[in-house]
Amino acid sequence: MECHLCRLPDNTALKQQKLPTHRLHFSAKKILFIFFATGIFCLCMGIILLLSAKSTQEIEINYTKICANCAKVRENAFNFDKECTCSIPFSLTKKMKGNVYMYYKLYGFYQNLYRYVRSRSNRQLVGKDVKAVNSCAPFKMFHNETPIVPCGAIANSIFNDTIILSYNVNSSLQIPVPMLKTGLTWWTDAYVKFQNPKADNLANAFEGTTKPPYWQKPIYELDKEDPGNNGFLNDDFIVWMRTAAFPTFKKLYRHLNRTQHFTAGLPAGNYSFNITYNFPVTRFYGKKSVVLCTTTWSGGSSLYIGLAYTVTGAITWLAAFSMMAIHMGLKNKKMPIIHQSNEALKEKAENRNGQ
Amino acid sequence: MALCAKKRPPEEERRARANDREYNEKFQYASNCIKTSKYNILTFLPVNLFEQFQEVANTYFLFLLILQLIPQISSLSWFTTIVPLVLVLTITAVKDATDDYFRHKSDNQVNNRQSQVLINGILQQEQWMNVCVGDIIKLENNQFVAADLLLLSSSEPHGLCYIETAELDGETNMKVRQAIPVTSELGDISKLAKFDGEVICEPPNNKLDKFSGTLYWKENKFPLSNQNMLLRGCVLRNTEWCFGLVIFAGPDTKLMQNSGRTKFKRTSIDRLMNTLVLWIFGFLVCMGVILAIGNAIWEHEVGTRFQVYLPWDEAVDSAFFSGFLSFWSYIIILNTVVPISLYVSVEVIRLGHSYFINWDKKMFCMKKRTPAEARTTTLNEELGQVEYIFSDKTGTLTQNIMVFNKCSINGHSYGDVFDVLGHKAELGERPEPVDFSFNPLADKKFLFWDPSLLEAVKMGDPHTHEFFRLLSLCHTVMSEEKNEGELYYKAQSPDEGALVTAARNFGFVFRSRTPKTITVHEMGTAITYQLLAILDFNNIRKRMSVIVRNPEGKIRLYCKGADTILLDRLHHSTQELLNTTTDHLNEYAGEGLRTLVLAYKDLDEEYYEEWAERRLQASLAQDSREDRLASIYEEVESNMMLLGATAIEDKLQQGVPETIALLTLANIKIWVLTGDKQETAVNIGYSCKMLTDDMTEVFIVTGHTVLEVREELRKAREKMMDSSRTVGNGFTYQEKLSSSKLTSVLEAVAGEYALVINGHSLAHALEADMELEFLETACACKAVICCRVTPLQKAQVVELVKKYKKAVTLAIGDGANDVSMIKTAHIGVGISGQEGIQAVLASDYSFSQFKFLQRLLLVHGRWSYLRMCKFLCYFFYKNFAFTMVHFWFGFFCGFSAQTVYDQYFITLYNIVYTSLPVLAMGVFDQDVPEQRSMEYPKLYEPGQLNLLFNKREFFICIAQGIYTSVLMFFIPYGVFAEATRDDGTQLADYQSFAVTVATSLVIVVSVQIGLDTGYWTAINHFFIWGSLAVYFAILFAMHSNGLFDMFPNQFRFVGNAQNTLAQPTVWLTIVLTTVVCIMPVVAFRFLRLHLKPDLSDTVRYTQLVRKKQKAQHRCMRRVGRTGSRRSGYAFSHQEGFGELIMSGKNMRLSSLALSSFTTRSSSSWIESLRRKKSDSASSPSGAADKPLKG
Repeated sequence: MECHLCRLPDNTALKQQKLPTHRLHFSAKKILFIFFATGIFCLCMGIILLLSAKSTQEIEINYTKICANCAKVRENAFNFDKECTCSIPFSLTKKMKGNVYMYYKLYGFYQNLYRYVRSRSNRQLVGKDVKAVNSCAPFKMFHNETPIVPCGAIANSIFNDTIILSYNVNSSLQIPVPMLKTGLTWWTDAYVKFQNPKADNLANAFEGTTKPPYWQKPIYELDKEDPGNNGFLNDDFIVWMRTAAFPTFKKLYRHLNRTQHFTAGLPAGNYSFNITYNFPVTRFYGKKSVVLCTTTWSGGSSLYIGLAYTVTGAITWLAAFSMMAIHMGLKNKKMPIIHQSNEALKEKAENRNGQ
Repeated sequence: MALCAKKRPPEEERRARANDREYNEKFQYASNCIKTSKYNILTFLPVNLFEQFQEVANTYFLFLLILQLIPQISSLSWFTTIVPLVLVLTITAVKDATDDYFRHKSDNQVNNRQSQVLINGILQQEQWMNVCVGDIIKLENNQFVAADLLLLSSSEPHGLCYIETAELDGETNMKVRQAIPVTSELGDISKLAKFDGEVICEPPNNKLDKFSGTLYWKENKFPLSNQNMLLRGCVLRNTEWCFGLVIFAGPDTKLMQNSGRTKFKRTSIDRLMNTLVLWIFGFLVCMGVILAIGNAIWEHEVGTRFQVYLPWDEAVDSAFFSGFLSFWSYIIILNTVVPISLYVSVEVIRLGHSYFINWDKKMFCMKKRTPAEARTTTLNEELGQVEYIFSDKTGTLTQNIMVFNKCSINGHSYGDVFDVLGHKAELGERPEPVDFSFNPLADKKFLFWDPSLLEAVKMGDPHTHEFFRLLSLCHTVMSEEKNEGELYYKAQSPDEGALVTAARNFGFVFRSRTPKTITVHEMGTAITYQLLAILDFNNIRKRMSVIVRNPEGKIRLYCKGADTILLDRLHHSTQELLNTTTDHLNEYAGEGLRTLVLAYKDLDEEYYEEWAERRLQASLAQDSREDRLASIYEEVESNMMLLGATAIEDKLQQGVPETIALLTLANIKIWVLTGDKQETAVNIGYSCKMLTDDMTEVFIVTGHTVLEVREELRKAREKMMDSSRTVGNGFTYQEKLSSSKLTSVLEAVAGEYALVINGHSLAHALEADMELEFLETACACKAVICCRVTPLQKAQVVELVKKYKKAVTLAIGDGANDVSMIKTAHIGVGISGQEGIQAVLASDYSFSQFKFLQRLLLVHGRWSYLRMCKFLCYFFYKNFAFTMVHFWFGFFCGFSAQTVYDQYFITLYNIVYTSLPVLAMGVFDQDVPEQRSMEYPKLYEPGQLNLLFNKREFFICIAQGIYTSVLMFFIPYGVFAEATRDDGTQLADYQSFAVTVATSLVIVVSVQIGLDTGYWTAINHFFIWGSLAVYFAILFAMHSNGLFDMFPNQFRFVGNAQNTLAQPTVWLTIVLTTVVCIMPVVAFRFLRLHLKPDLSDTVRYTQLVRKKQKAQHRCMRRVGRTGSRRSGYAFSHQEGFGELIMSGKNMRLSSLALSSFTTRSSSSWIESLRRKKSDSASSPSGAADKPLKG
């Protein structure tokens, strides 16, 4: 009781709810400005994107049906070691300029199933412990004793067709188009996420393990010529291991090595794909195709984002105009300034007098 | 601290023997220790956890956690649920622990109060909690009674003592308690120490006005009644000391039995929230079922064939079973639609609001040094929805201080305050008060501002002298003079005290009285008047008179009473004076003062003798004694000469009329529930502007029977109906009246009405078959005053409104008699800083001035409601936007319960990335500055109508959330499905998609909160920008090489952030998503602002315009008030005190100079007092009365 004001609350802005502040006030002008600006931005973006998407070229050849006989062979499990090739001729009417990328595209292959996505062992793939297969169900061990390398459903189901693009220089001469099979992955994938176990000989490093059931050759024989592309570091393997978000996806397979005839890209002419058909898709009613395309700064040839921007921009402008119309229409009416306040004040004044 | 009472079997009867602790211990009665706390250190953890898991939400999350431990179901890692759950449990536990700590503290404070206990023949200081049943304790003046006591003896004669029971029942007048004769002689300690009587009585109960028991002492039986009891919570007044025997202690006391268990109050938003959460659960199950069916179909059609690449789990043998499992998996994934952080965030926000109330300087009372206090932290937003306020009167609206304010003597009005220039002075600019130093006996605390009255007295104006002589003679005040010149008046009612004190200061000092004399110091000389008769006050007479013989031998009757009664009984010769005085009375009444008219009459000796004889005859009559006495009194109180009038101010608390006016403007209905008398209550109603003279009519319901009350209510309704018919367009309501739909009719009543109902009638009106009728009538009135109501009735009225009106009620009061009402209402407010703390302890909010209520409701309540609503809308929105994406993804991932986001994102989204900005908004947001919400009380209405968050708003939020989630999924989907990166590599990998969606989600909800926040403080900025920054920081950290090197299986997203977010396409996608999600919201708000602006928008706009136009000076018009004369005789004491004085029973023997006064049986006064009391309380206790005679 000695201190007179010790229970008096502090007079701070926070405690008295008087923090310095600015109130968001969107006046009609501001809002209309924002709408028009956004509209312009979206329209411009849309047009730019559409134009750039138009500048790319893409060719897609679905070979599920064309190589139907091979598919039949593959469906019979006893033919697993029989090779079946299939050649698909096609012609380019216009030349493809710049970097040309070759993809394989799968339809109806679910790389995003919950159990599928989890069925891998990063510990194994980073080379720390090749026998770490705990998270790889249902492809952990072969006959419950030998650990599988690389384990898991993702690795087991790797796309294993071989696609070779040939260029018919003239009717008699057919040369393979030079393609690069490395440089298809992110830096972090190739240098951080995937590492071969440390050993002099790669084969020794994988001793005591076995290849996945659907594989034809073990991991250390994926690319015998290039040790930098062998084992876990094989680019095709790494690309496959980066699972797709949707059941239809394309993955980069090769890209053009711009030498000889091909320094400026793929010239117009006749080509053919020679495909070694291994990957069975008919079993799950899927489809596969091979895609050749060029890119620009915004990526591939998708019109979707450009269209989306254009439409958004158009709608925004439409909305902005109708809002402006409403605003103009109401301008004469003016926003009501309330007069009820006067009543309240009057009442207050009255009370003061009454007291 | 000793542990308090354990559970005992119910008692049949109670036995307590004085001074015999061993004997009493056998019964194991509760000790006087009070425990309101819930935990101690050991029991805290288990009990608190048990309580917390009784919350449905917490159990639900525990259940989810268990589900996640089943590997076939688990679609998230265990920590996504356990981290938030643990966080929530911890925060709640900390809060509970602090609450309980304060309860411990307050318990300790009460339990450690000191009292004097007689132990082994010596008085010893003991703490309250150590007082036991059977102890004899000594109380001193102004001390709180520590337990329920049987009064044994007191310093006053005949074992009388005075108590104030305001704490218990709210009645502020003093009450008399008397010890039974045999014990009243036990005055000193040695006698008391030998006292070994045994009391056998009823078991503990909560009836405040009843007690029955028997005292066995020295082989004799003595019946005991409530008249002998001092209850815990009372305060001893005007009694130096008394001794009492503890009968009930601690939890058994009537006070504690009355307080009952605190009900856990929930706000309407809480209830709505629980309903909505249940709906969401239902929605969740629906989604689960849809996705499970999808899964079964997918597995059947596609999955079976896809088994080459991904065989089914060993446990799964059919597509159907797979669907069943995926149902549970989806329940786990989608559980974030009902985030556990919802509950804890709501608590945090409410806590913040409570602190703002505690910190509010404008609700700090300088005089009493008490800040406002939010005692519960769970009700804040309900403060913004109040529709009915139930207020106590004494101590809440009024200060319970009566001040002699003005008077009219012989046609001259005194008491107006003039400033130097001769204008009527306004409040706060008063000159110096009148100097009473000439009078050594003056009361220093008495203040009067008009010096002319004192001059008139000093000049010897005979009228003025007669005026004050009347005031010093005509009353039932007792005086006490401890030292020479130190006078203390024991007045039964504060207004009578005020009058006598006024006379005292103006030189007519009432010094002492005996049953037959009154001694007055008139201007320095002592004069003794012979008191011939007191014609006491009662409700019908509304006046009191004394007949005195002055030293010269002249007999004079002095009378004071209500103007309505007295003005008719004046001599016709005073007509002119009457007119002036009437004008003055009107003026006083217009200022809300309580007025009394004073008159006198000279009686000649013979007439008096003859009259006295007839009076004696009448008082001895067996039948209709009252009526005969009344007519004899009537006869003598006629043809009186008018002296003047007094005006007493029942001092209102500061700012009460303003507050009531403002709250009324905010469409809040105010009902006054008071234990006081009708006149007093109505007077206060006028002075605090609840009742005004503009009102069409004030209905007064005073019926004593069911039929009368029903009739009166019906008449009131008819009148309202009639007037609205005449006002309306001739539509007949009569048919509707007969139908049961009273509501619709009465809501449209034109004109302002008020209803005054008293306790008797209320008891009938609250019966089951009439309560609706009463409620409809009352609710059609602008103001309702219930007088003479019991604490229980207060609660009943509140309950009635709660039950049928579905409106939020607030009860405000200061005394223990308000506790029941405070507990019943949705929100209870206690006035603190008074002597009692019962009301405060039971309340949810407390502050020391009624006027703070406007700030509590219009500022804090309104903001709280607004913030809470905005918070909830946003919260549901953000979680639907977040969670529904999984649902859409289900259609593209074979319904395999794959999540869109990284599991860390799911864990952190609610507790880190999006929690703080919305909390900051929920705590700090303001739509209009605080002054505006006082200026425009209509701003309060959205809360009452529940407009800001209701089922419709909820669906809008949900719709917005779902809309956002659709765009959030399908825009990136469309982009990713076809596109590649600029380096030709695949763009549409799962991890990039996850990062893109997560990033756009965080950005969209941040922009959305930015739009929702109306009041950007530095904290909001910090939290919103901070959350975004933290999101990116954590994202890059989680995707860093270092973490991957350490835990390759846990941090699978290595390198994802830098690779994905380096892509222009990804950013273009994010921007597009944001634009498409936000623009419609902005457009919608624009349209609402232009086409259907609500009041707060308009206020903001008005302010903006004002600022630009430079506010013009507004002149405030002064509005004159028309006064009306109202009867102001409002003594709050009960009749019968006059008789007490004349019998001399309550006077000290020493002061009884004339000992031969007793003309009647000495105990008769008590008997008649009792009878009257029991009549009014309708609780005959005749059995207890009889033995007192002998």
